[in-house]
Amino acid sequence: MMIEGHLNNTLMRLLLIIASLLVLPHIGTLNPLFIVISLALIAWCGFVHFFNRFSPSAWLLLPLSLLLAFLVLKLHGMSLGREASSSFLLVLLGLKLLECRRQRDVLAVIFVSFFVLITPFLFEQTIALALYGLCLFFLLLCALIINASGSASIRPVDVTRFATQIGLLAFPLMLIGFLLFPRMIGPLWAMPKDASNAVSGISDSINPGQISHLALSNETAFRARFNGASPAFNELYWRGPVFWQTDGQQWTVSLNSTRREAANDPSPVNTLYRYSLVLEAHHQRWLYSLDTPITAPNQVRLTQDNQLLLKDKLRRTRSFDLLSNTQTAPEILNDKDRLRALALPKNTDQRVYQLAARWQADAGSDIAVINTGLAHFNQEDFYYTLTPPRLGVDPVADFLFSTKRGFCGHYATSFAVVLRAANIPTRLVAGYQGGVYNAVGQFWEVRQADAHVWVEAWLAGRGWVRFDPTAAIAPNRIEHSIDFSNQRLGGEVRFLIEPSDGFSNWAQQLTSLMQAVDYYWESGVLAYGPEVQHDFLSSFGIDGWEQMVLWLALLSGGLILIVTLFLYRLSVRKEDPSQAAYLAFCKKLGRRFTYKKPAETSLHYFTRIAAIKPDLEPDLQQIRQQYLLSRYAKNDARKLLTLIRAFRF
Amino acid sequence: MPQTLAEQFSLKRFNQGSPSQKASVVLNLRRVYILPNRAGLTLAAVIVFMLVASINYSNSMGFVFTFLLASATQVSTFFSFRNLSGIEVHGLKCAPCFLGQQAHASFVIRETEGRDRWGIVATIDNQLLSIPHLKPHQSYPINVPVLPPQRGWYSPNTLTLSSLFPFAVFRAWSPLLFAQKILVYPRPLSFKQALPSLPAALANSSISSPSPGADDFSGFKTYQPGDPYRQINWKAWAAEKGLLSKQFSSQQSAQVWLDWNACSSPSTEAKLSELCQWALAAEKAQLRYGLRLPSKRIPPANGDAHLQHCLQSLALFNQANDD
Repeated sequence: MMIEGHLNNTLMRLLLIIASLLVLPHIGTLNPLFIVISLALIAWCGFVHFFNRFSPSAWLLLPLSLLLAFLVLKLHGMSLGREASSSFLLVLLGLKLLECRRQRDVLAVIFVSFFVLITPFLFEQTIALALYGLCLFFLLLCALIINASGSASIRPVDVTRFATQIGLLAFPLMLIGFLLFPRMIGPLWAMPKDASNAVSGISDSINPGQISHLALSNETAFRARFNGASPAFNELYWRGPVFWQTDGQQWTVSLNSTRREAANDPSPVNTLYRYSLVLEAHHQRWLYSLDTPITAPNQVRLTQDNQLLLKDKLRRTRSFDLLSNTQTAPEILNDKDRLRALALPKNTDQRVYQLAARWQADAGSDIAVINTGLAHFNQEDFYYTLTPPRLGVDPVADFLFSTKRGFCGHYATSFAVVLRAANIPTRLVAGYQGGVYNAVGQFWEVRQADAHVWVEAWLAGRGWVRFDPTAAIAPNRIEHSIDFSNQRLGGEVRFLIEPSDGFSNWAQQLTSLMQAVDYYWESGVLAYGPEVQHDFLSSFGIDGWEQMVLWLALLSGGLILIVTLFLYRLSVRKEDPSQAAYLAFCKKLGRRFTYKKPAETSLHYFTRIAAIKPDLEPDLQQIRQQYLLSRYAKNDARKLLTLIRAFRF
Repeated sequence: MPQTLAEQFSLKRFNQGSPSQKASVVLNLRRVYILPNRAGLTLAAVIVFMLVASINYSNSMGFVFTFLLASATQVSTFFSFRNLSGIEVHGLKCAPCFLGQQAHASFVIRETEGRDRWGIVATIDNQLLSIPHLKPHQSYPINVPVLPPQRGWYSPNTLTLSSLFPFAVFRAWSPLLFAQKILVYPRPLSFKQALPSLPAALANSSISSPSPGADDFSGFKTYQPGDPYRQINWKAWAAEKGLLSKQFSSQQSAQVWLDWNACSSPSTEAKLSELCQWALAAEKAQLRYGLRLPSKRIPPANGDAHLQHCLQSLALFNQANDD
């Protein structure tokens, strides 16, 4: 049953503000056309509201709705993706606002708004956005309350008080739901493709110039927190995908490597590092780990070439507990792998083989060849730059023999090709190098700018050993992170060395603090998925979704019951203590002599008692006096209580 | 309130209310019911959609806001309850009426807990009365016109207090059934029809010696409880001579019997209408009149109380709860 009434102005204005605020976070993520359309619809509604003109008729609204729905479908196709649905909801919100005339319409607008409220989180989930969402949620509760009160006389104070009370009471209940609602693994329907686009990070194929675009990205790739000491900065090589195969142009990852048995590692314990990794969704299957991972977390495969691989692509932030050894154990290289690690495309430039032969000429061992190669990069006319010249059909030869300017991708790929030409088994590893240590949160923040590519070569007796040609040309890159804030494309590459002046030191402290908060936000809230939930709840003995549902029901039901009981206590009228004491006293007298009749006053009753037992009269008189005083003269009930207690038959 | 098991489990409680013997009722946990309305079901659907989206994208903030909305909606029921609880409703005594006339069922709603109440709607017999804002300790009278369908005791239907506060997705309501009854007299015949038949009744009358009337002053007598206040000799009272009533007599005043058998109409209801009309006419003419019904006899008298007595007997004629 709805009461038809005129919408009050406050409510309409509040809805207009909420709608505009809901559109704002989508600027930059959605097609600007839909941002403009929804803002235009809101502005139109505002115009109708303030000037009472150009009110749209139903004849106009229906075709307009159909047209806009068609437009969304035309631009996004029939996908159920986040961009399509967000655009659709925004347009719907504008249209609903336009036809908002009665209480029912207001509810429709508010319901759509609640849905729109969660759409920005499909694109990013920062703390700032969460707080923004919380404010909007509060405003929406206020709108609901104003709408339901149906009265213009409800004051903003009352509305905010109700909304605050409801919000605060809802919070623990929400927490129970958040923690205990069984998180299903994987999406309900095929994950819309658009959820993976525009994610920067290392991809599954590498060509020489590829990593450079990441150097300008301030985005966090992952954060790592060590249990105990962390390795030295120049030892922080976070291994990601391993590349064995090259066609001369680019290297491609091989993710079907065989599983490695968890090694009962004989290597020294002082190079063991235990750490937890909070990895942002990078839509790839691999994790990043220090040199040799010892064990693999649940549902993660540890491969022969020391990759940690997930079953599916990582689509949300997750945290992993890892154990690594920075010392590599000597291993046997089987013939198949040796062949893979030496394979070169047929069209490899002859100059590459000549260069390899030159390195081999004066060297007695593989390690000597490699050192000669590193020295070659250092002493010849090579430069480290983020904006290398464009390379031709054979990028390796072009880089080595003509341009000689490049980034880590160039150095690593060409170095690997020459080593293979020199008959040294070599593979390419992509990952991140270094990071920024956050002293506030005591974790390493690794950004996309730290992306790096290096080479691993197989040495008899030592196994796979890491070599970083970039370190030979730009040692600063390995000692310090790239300073993204001072980075200019085409300019000199700058690195993060200790900040010099006081202000920037202070600013950096603040940045550290904010990043620390963000770390806990990500590892505590955003990474709370099926695995973390399982680990967290099983520490309370809650295992499996049936138990989660059971506890969810028990806890939320219990909480609701507690509030209900509290309300019940409130609604039961409290008896006046003096009244209660008086009635109890009368009952006691009644057991001895005669009961008080319901309609009898204290005077009548006590007179009756005194007639039976005259010696009680003075005491009764006193009690009556005190009872009347405490009932009607607001005297303290304590006097009456002591009198009654002192009474003897 | 004592209830039989059948009453406790009957669904009627939820829309008709359990009958109360008391004249006033305070709304509490036992009396206030809450269920989602249509908008509430829509919101539930929205929440399910939000949950599906959150699951599909494994989106933590999506879960947070979905559960926050669901929890807030759940919590809002407490406030729905608090918006009604502690309101006191009095069923007021209702004036009798004639059949075909509009009567009024009257209630008073009173806020007792010192809180503002918002958006309360009182419903009775499909009539809506909206009380947008009930202030702390405010009393709010409700007068609902009712049209009783037949003579006798008429019980007004259930009065339902409801509110959609605070979110308009849950409806809290409390059905209240009071013991108050409206006495409905038979429909009087119209005067034109009635007047010719009056002499027929008068023919049955016997002229008697002076009897109390209202026309001529005939002296004082000691006041007896029941004497009209208008006839008290206040001057004598002021002179401390005690309470004296003025006595009037009307020599002309006749004694008539309004006799069931003297009615011209064939049907019971029509006869009752006729008697009703006579009683009114006789009272107006200051006659002393008695009522003779097949089952009952009221000796002649006159005055307001007598008229009411006669009319009540007519109203309750041949009814089960005849008193």
